[in-house]
Amino acid sequence: MATNQLDDVIQRWRTTKEKDLKPEDHELFLNIGGTCIAQGDTTQLLDFIKEEKNQGIVKSMGCGLLRPLIKDVVGKERDPVHCEAIITHLVQICRANDLLDVLLREMEDADPDAIADTIILLMQHIQLVLSRLGDSKALSLGRALAALQKQISKLPVPYSRKQEQEDKYGLCRCCTALLTFVQPFVQEVKSQDTKSPVTTSNDEELRTVLLKFCMQSLREPLLEAQLDREADTTQNSPLRNFATEIMAILSAIQEPLPKLLFYYPLRGKEDMGVGRQDDSHPTESRACLAYLLFVQLIAMEVFPAVFSPIFVLRCNMEYINILLSRKDESWILKGLDLYVKSLERVLDNSLPVQLLELRPFYSVPQILVKIMIECPIQHLRVKALVVFQLFIEKLNGEAKHKFFRCIMKTSQHAGVESVILKNIKNQAEHSSKSEHRDGWFEGTLLISLLRDTVSLPQGPETDLLHGMDRVMESLNLLRYLLIKERTKSTAIWTDLCNIAKTYIKILRVCLSMSKSYYGTELKSLHEEKKIKAKEFKEMSKKKSIQHMIVKNESLGGMPPEAQDKVLQCALVTYDLMESLVVRIEEITEERV
Amino acid sequence: MLHSPPVRLAEVTCGYTEKQMRGPGKTREILGTRACVSAEMATFEDESSTSQSPVDLFNSQGIDITPNKDRGVCKIVKRHGKEGERPMIGDKVHVHYTGRLLNGKKFDSSFDRKEPFVLNVGKGQVIKALDIGVCSMQKGEVCLLLCKPEYAYGSAGSPPKVPTNSTLLFEVELLNFRGEELTEDGGILRRIKVKGEGYNNPNEGATVHVHLEGRCGGRLFEARDITFVVGESEDMGVPLGVDRAMEKMQKGECCLLYLKPKYGYGKEGKPEYDIGPNAELLYEVTLKDFEKAKESWEMDLNEKLEKAVLVKQKGTQYFKSGRYYHAVIQYQRIVSWLEMECGVGKEQQQAIQALLLVAHLNLALCYLRLREYSQTVENCNKVVELDSQNEKALYRRGEARLLRNEFTLALMDFRQVLQVNPSNRAARCRIAVCQRKIREHHERDKKIYANMFQRFAEHDAKVGRLKRKKEESGLVDQNNKAVKKSRTKSQDGS
Repeated sequence: MATNQLDDVIQRWRTTKEKDLKPEDHELFLNIGGTCIAQGDTTQLLDFIKEEKNQGIVKSMGCGLLRPLIKDVVGKERDPVHCEAIITHLVQICRANDLLDVLLREMEDADPDAIADTIILLMQHIQLVLSRLGDSKALSLGRALAALQKQISKLPVPYSRKQEQEDKYGLCRCCTALLTFVQPFVQEVKSQDTKSPVTTSNDEELRTVLLKFCMQSLREPLLEAQLDREADTTQNSPLRNFATEIMAILSAIQEPLPKLLFYYPLRGKEDMGVGRQDDSHPTESRACLAYLLFVQLIAMEVFPAVFSPIFVLRCNMEYINILLSRKDESWILKGLDLYVKSLERVLDNSLPVQLLELRPFYSVPQILVKIMIECPIQHLRVKALVVFQLFIEKLNGEAKHKFFRCIMKTSQHAGVESVILKNIKNQAEHSSKSEHRDGWFEGTLLISLLRDTVSLPQGPETDLLHGMDRVMESLNLLRYLLIKERTKSTAIWTDLCNIAKTYIKILRVCLSMSKSYYGTELKSLHEEKKIKAKEFKEMSKKKSIQHMIVKNESLGGMPPEAQDKVLQCALVTYDLMESLVVRIEEITEERV
Repeated sequence: MLHSPPVRLAEVTCGYTEKQMRGPGKTREILGTRACVSAEMATFEDESSTSQSPVDLFNSQGIDITPNKDRGVCKIVKRHGKEGERPMIGDKVHVHYTGRLLNGKKFDSSFDRKEPFVLNVGKGQVIKALDIGVCSMQKGEVCLLLCKPEYAYGSAGSPPKVPTNSTLLFEVELLNFRGEELTEDGGILRRIKVKGEGYNNPNEGATVHVHLEGRCGGRLFEARDITFVVGESEDMGVPLGVDRAMEKMQKGECCLLYLKPKYGYGKEGKPEYDIGPNAELLYEVTLKDFEKAKESWEMDLNEKLEKAVLVKQKGTQYFKSGRYYHAVIQYQRIVSWLEMECGVGKEQQQAIQALLLVAHLNLALCYLRLREYSQTVENCNKVVELDSQNEKALYRRGEARLLRNEFTLALMDFRQVLQVNPSNRAARCRIAVCQRKIREHHERDKKIYANMFQRFAEHDAKVGRLKRKKEESGLVDQNNKAVKKSRTKSQDGS
């Protein structure tokens, strides 16, 4: 379009009222603006937009220019100074509601590869637009935050400290920018509180929006974040900083942490659906809150210290349950850490048996056992075992008694069962020494526990190699108890002997079967070796036929040397078991 | 119609004044009577530093308040409270406290958080000393508590602030207490007389053995031993409130339940006990024993399906007799059992779908009768998710939306009903209603906003004048009134 023609159009626009502008005008304006931007004539465009006489035009049609401008800035093909200046100007002049719509749409359409850059650019402008909205901004702020968080949740969360420092995908930058973004609104709520105790509805709404934002941030990205892979606190971690600030916002908006953590109605359905749990405070978010508070000790200084440790454990157990149920390293690690911290404050031997009736107290140990057995990540397996033991220490006698039986019944894993049997032995030992014995690991109570635990559930068909841990630990326990009791004239001696005899009777059958089987296996393996050696000798004489035949004969995928080792090992174990059996028989006969 | 704007504005102003009045009250609660408390603390610290160690002070003046009299918690009252009731177990209690070590070092204080500490007392939520201490107090009382470690953090301590085996000193002010609300609407208030054992509660469908004593306005109207199934108390003539409380009780517990009419005998009353309509009731309930019903996770799918059919019948029976709350409980059980099930094979899947559909559809109807429209809409949405052409669900959702004054949405629902079934005459009528309401609404809006700008202008002018006056006189109070009056007047004029 010729320059003078354009001048005419602009002159006409200057005098036309906003409502008289036609769609064609809008289109033309956008075309001209778009071309300017595409050609890099942004200086010219800036001058036009800043021109006093053009303010009417800009106000009514300028919004449309944002899209190409933002694209240009994010694209980074040129120096963005002018584009940014234009955006800033538009954001101050155009109608706030239109601006917000455009900016949020731009955010949703962000190029997947440039999410961080786009939203960081947009955030400052959205903040400005919101501040222009005055008292009615709460709703719009909510919209903006939801949109921002949705985009941020698409960014991968750094796994290691190094990744966090590199911040390749920009999540950490976004989190930091997000904090700057909400700061003025937090301040507004805060200053309202100090000004007067009267809360306006806008204030209330802002509070609700901010609370929702905090809860959402706890869920994403904080639940995924590894906050203490390396306990190096000197290095500044943006994610940790984000967590700290989120907790600070919660206290700034006067949301008491105990209420969120402990007094939040967990099951809305019980109340006939009157107050159903809304999705804005998902339990996962509160689980993360518990983790930050009790494990990372963020905001611990403002948390009441007077809660009883058992109550805290009871409440946290729900969260631990949720954290452990998800097969995700960062979740499980958080769950285990929270479990440890919640248990540490509880006194040994103090958890009552009734607690085990609560559902999470049943399900958490079950999940823990699963992690110990199945989890592919070693440090989690190890940690799970440590927590499992710690939990046992905290149970009182009666609770231990019940817990041991329950795990023996449900775990079906020789390793776990051996841990329990070892614990029974320790308890029996402990109860004879300590002054305040509660009697659960002596006398008839002990005998009844042994009846349930010292057994071979599959009878003579038990796979001794597979169940080795359990068998060895059972024998150890029996030997220990028999030696302990033989000098005393207690009533349980006969019972103990009976248990030992029944157990050993079946075990002996197992042992003889297993030994003969493995013995034959080993023999045949040796035979084969001999044959092979012979063949090899013969072959090496002929040399023409290679090792073909040898390969065909190798068994079970395992090289014969390894097979040999396994079989030998098994036989040694059986010998060991047998020697223990003999010892036990000796002790029982000595006294009689 | 002409009057509506002034009325609305008047309401707004009223709300405002009320809030203002509540304001200072709230502040007082937040701050407690801090002046008093800190003064007390100061004198106490003086005493301790100059003459006596706190332990000596408690030895001479403290009262042992532990149940087994082992001097684990000793108390000195610094300011007496109002004579009268003390908190009962489970009561929701507001306190302010400051906790110190014996060397005077503060480790925790509710004042630092600028809000009172809230707890359900006597339930082991806090360290033993506070539970015992608060239970012994009266409203407004301020006291000092000296607590041995066994009643505080014991050998574990509370790192990092409280070392192991610390004796602690608390200063506590009891601000307020009331019974525990068992429902969100506050319709059931519980106060526990005797604490039950353990942590196990009856669940929905459990069989409970209880002793009941019902009072109305101080008059005992029933006292009996009874066995009923939780969720089906109606069959034995036990009011809903008692039924709902069961899930929060433990074996051996004896409690008082304050029931609002909704959870008692409602609008109809109970002539056989000589109870009129809308009466509030007080029940004393002892849970002697109970047998739990199987939880959802303890049942396999087939068992759930079998039971769901029975529960559905039960729900329908309640619905027919107008017991909508009771019906809701039953239908809700079906949802909670089957919501997360997917089933194997077509047959099972269909069975689950069908039951869920009926449950949600009936829940929608119950809530419609109970005037809980958002719940109605929610349940209809669930049905529409399962079957987008469900005529009943669409119609019920339309009804609920119409009653919530969401005319446009309602209109859309009823139009969809007609698409599914063009011969649905009721829907046709409803569409007409919707359209009429939308028209009326438009007109009212027009009238309200018609002279808005003029009114604002007048208002601004008046406020301006008043401001000047205020600056002259400085009497805030009168001005406020004047503003209100003038505002109302200007509206009347329009």
